Amino acid sequence: MMKANPIAIEPGVPGPEPAELPDDFLRQLTAAGEVDILLFVPSLNNRDTIGHVMNALQLGLVKYFPRERTAVLNADGGSHDGTPQVVRDSIITDFRAFLAANPLRTMHRITAAYDNSKGSWGALELLLSAAELMRAKACAVVSPDLLSIAPEWVESLVRPIRRQEFDFVAPIYHRHKYEGLLIKNLVAPVFRAAYGFRIREPMGSEFAFSGQLASRLLESGGWQQRCCEVGPALGVMAAAIANDYRTCQSFLGPRIYQSRRQEPDLVQVFQDSVGALFQGLEADHACWANRDGSSQVPTFGFEYSVALQPVRVSRKRLLQGFRLGVEELGAILEAILAPDTWRAVQDLGKLSDGGFHFPDELWVRVVYEFAASYHRSVLARDHLLQALLPLYRGKVFSFVMETERATTAEVENRLEELCLACERLKPYLVERWSQEK
Amino acid sequence: MTDASTRISDQDSLWYKDAIIYELHVRAFQDSNGDGMGDFRGLTQRLDHLEQLGVTALWLLPFYPSPLKDDGYDISDYTSIHPSYGTLDDFRTFLDAAHTRGLKVITELVLNHTSDQHTWFQESRSSRDNSRRDWYVWSDSVDRYQQARIIFLDSELSNWAWDPVSRSYYWHRFFSHQPDLNFDCPAVREEMWKVMRFWLEMGVDGFRVDAVPYLVEREGTSCESLPETHEVLKSLRRRIDESFAGKILLAEANQWPSDVRPYFGDGDECHMAFHFPLMPRMFMAVRLEDRKPIIDILEQTPQIPETCQWATFLRNHDELTLEMVTDEERDYMYDEYAKDKSARLNLGIRRRLAPLMENDRRRIELMTSMLLSLPGTPIIYYGDEIGMGDNLYLGDRNGVRTPMQWSGGWNAGFSTADPEQLYSALISNPVYGYQVVNRESQRRSEHSLLSWTQHILGVRKSSRVFSRGSIEFLSAANHRVLAYVRQWNNERVLVVNNLSSSAQAAELDLRHLAGSIPIELFGGSLFPRIGQAPYLLTLGPYQFYWFRLRRF
Repeated sequence: MMKANPIAIEPGVPGPEPAELPDDFLRQLTAAGEVDILLFVPSLNNRDTIGHVMNALQLGLVKYFPRERTAVLNADGGSHDGTPQVVRDSIITDFRAFLAANPLRTMHRITAAYDNSKGSWGALELLLSAAELMRAKACAVVSPDLLSIAPEWVESLVRPIRRQEFDFVAPIYHRHKYEGLLIKNLVAPVFRAAYGFRIREPMGSEFAFSGQLASRLLESGGWQQRCCEVGPALGVMAAAIANDYRTCQSFLGPRIYQSRRQEPDLVQVFQDSVGALFQGLEADHACWANRDGSSQVPTFGFEYSVALQPVRVSRKRLLQGFRLGVEELGAILEAILAPDTWRAVQDLGKLSDGGFHFPDELWVRVVYEFAASYHRSVLARDHLLQALLPLYRGKVFSFVMETERATTAEVENRLEELCLACERLKPYLVERWSQEK
Repeated sequence: MTDASTRISDQDSLWYKDAIIYELHVRAFQDSNGDGMGDFRGLTQRLDHLEQLGVTALWLLPFYPSPLKDDGYDISDYTSIHPSYGTLDDFRTFLDAAHTRGLKVITELVLNHTSDQHTWFQESRSSRDNSRRDWYVWSDSVDRYQQARIIFLDSELSNWAWDPVSRSYYWHRFFSHQPDLNFDCPAVREEMWKVMRFWLEMGVDGFRVDAVPYLVEREGTSCESLPETHEVLKSLRRRIDESFAGKILLAEANQWPSDVRPYFGDGDECHMAFHFPLMPRMFMAVRLEDRKPIIDILEQTPQIPETCQWATFLRNHDELTLEMVTDEERDYMYDEYAKDKSARLNLGIRRRLAPLMENDRRRIELMTSMLLSLPGTPIIYYGDEIGMGDNLYLGDRNGVRTPMQWSGGWNAGFSTADPEQLYSALISNPVYGYQVVNRESQRRSEHSLLSWTQHILGVRKSSRVFSRGSIEFLSAANHRVLAYVRQWNNERVLVVNNLSSSAQAAELDLRHLAGSIPIELFGGSLFPRIGQAPYLLTLGPYQFYWFRLRRF
């Protein structure tokens, strides 16, 4: 049974003084007034895609929430490619060309700039301030680089809050079996075991939350710090779960976005994502330590399937990366992992290519030992996360080999086994976590 | 800007542009002989009220002999008075008295159809050889004009009805007891002109022309708004202009503004036409707290000839019609204004203004303010000046046609008959009952709705800028605020309406009016001079301002 231990949001703890909102932004909020739905698109050099995203959002509001008071807020982090102008120009003057509907109300678009030096928190802070001032009932965050967004996404994200009184909506994306491997093999299983909720995308870029939750978040200084550290999506969701806000997930469909010229490499993505996960565990320890098992989360939307672009995985590089890491990082891994675990990992390195198999239980023990070491600050956290990366590559290689011919359903079953292993071994995480530093 | 300077005179052929019209039913206004039904003598006795109120024209619902199967729109004699309402002499007396008070009188002209009890139809059906046979539209089959829609879908299966007397079908766009006249027949057009001449010679100032789109039928068309129909109207207009200058035609065509536009012709057809789609959008805007519906429809409204005018209204004797809205808008209106499903009728809501506004004085005033300050000639429905309620337990639209509430005394001062004898039960509930809502009690209070209405009508009449001026919407960033400038010659009025139930701030870009001083029209207060900076106004819930802009 789960035991709630709501500690994550601490209204009594004053947060850092929020930056004073610019007059022009306040003027726009005054003009829009109270809203039922506030959609948020943070941007930074997204000129090519943001117009499409803005149109999809506006059409979604017209189609699914024609009576609601709505606004779309764009916060720009200092684009130099003309993104704000594209936002200002994205006025759909004739909805009848797209829909058999016409908005009953004025549709507001609010543009503002956020302090990019604060990272994604700077944008989220702006959203929360706007939500508070506009008394928004529901807020949704949408990425500016989406190519696959459709008006239906607005309904999927917002309806559970507006019509069914949920407080947080996580996305479910339709993914190729080798897309989102880090989420599938590490982040989601650990998050589920720790927090006790079967959320498939704990770090989904699109999510929605209630105005009530937004207000609580804004007034909680402790949470703001955490959000800076773990990122908006995970931060808001963890806060919702830790405080027993009603959480659900909604199917959005395939998530196709425009590639950036300089895509962050796997090392960076790994450090950001796993670092955020471990940081969240650190902050919410009191919340998750006593939770057992996991609960289903209400899920909305019809999970249709479409043919997706195959994701190519270089098996050779994965295995090489694993073996090289085990060989070169031996001293570090030995300091982090328990002796039995380290021996088992070394044994994996000796397996032939065709006979390589990274057992779930071993992988879970590895991750939990790294998480505990992260908590205990055994060594510099960046270095620690870098040391986990080769082992992750080995796990992914094993997963790819196992699921090469598997159907989507078989892959799902395979991942469920991993999740159950995480839950089964959670006492081990708690035990390692509690050991003296 | 004095009342005297703009007082409507007989010499002013454009009087209808400056008019404030009051719509009433003779039957519902005042009973003079104690038979439980209003009449012309009673109406004449009550003209003082109308003069004091400040309206300038009266629109009378049908008062002709009729079987009353369609509230008098089924006329059986065009040149007489229904016996219950009095005699032609009574009408003449009323007309003279109204004119003496400067009130114009507009009557109903039902051109399209008659009652099946009319002698014309009785003769027409009597034999196929009758000289009046072609006064109506007959056919041996129902195959003709199949593209014409059926208007009363709830009660009629076809536009053709079988006549067992002459063993053929007759055409009817409305109820089957209302056969359509055949305007292809020269004798019909001549006869209807005689009818019009009859009333015009008596002194009537104009006609509200019922159901104008349906006068002429042609195979392969919708039989609505055909060129031949416009030709009939133009012909009538020519004859009016030749012999009765200053008399008007007010077209009833419940259509989109662009479709109504042809009824104005080049200023040579109808003088006025109702603007149907504006009305529901005003209600929608106040409930949505958003100016968008009003601006949308007025931006879709085409220009009309200088000598023409739209007729605007909040409520009338029919349901609040929702034909000229989208399905989504209709659903919204039903959900917001007719939660009680018994209030829904046909495609509309059968309620009066005050119940629609939940008896909120501020909202009633705001709606009236917009009606009087937006372009068009406003029409006020009897009883709305005192905030009368309605009776949903009465069928059809009878709930909004109850006796006028003059006082808290016997039968609300409407009649000396026994209450059971009244043509309709009085409103007597604790909120809208005649004991609390009546003209007499409101007349005694300077702050009553009646007194306020009287005052705002006076302000409206103080300048032709409201009746003849152009309109320019101001795009205040706050969408809950509807602001516009009316201009006529050198006169400018700035109107700012807060559509919201909460206080609002509005920053108006009035740079093009820089240097002007706003003078609030109701109290005469001066406001700060307009400069280059955004002009900031704060408005309480549902508050509105009318400012005259002056340069000193």
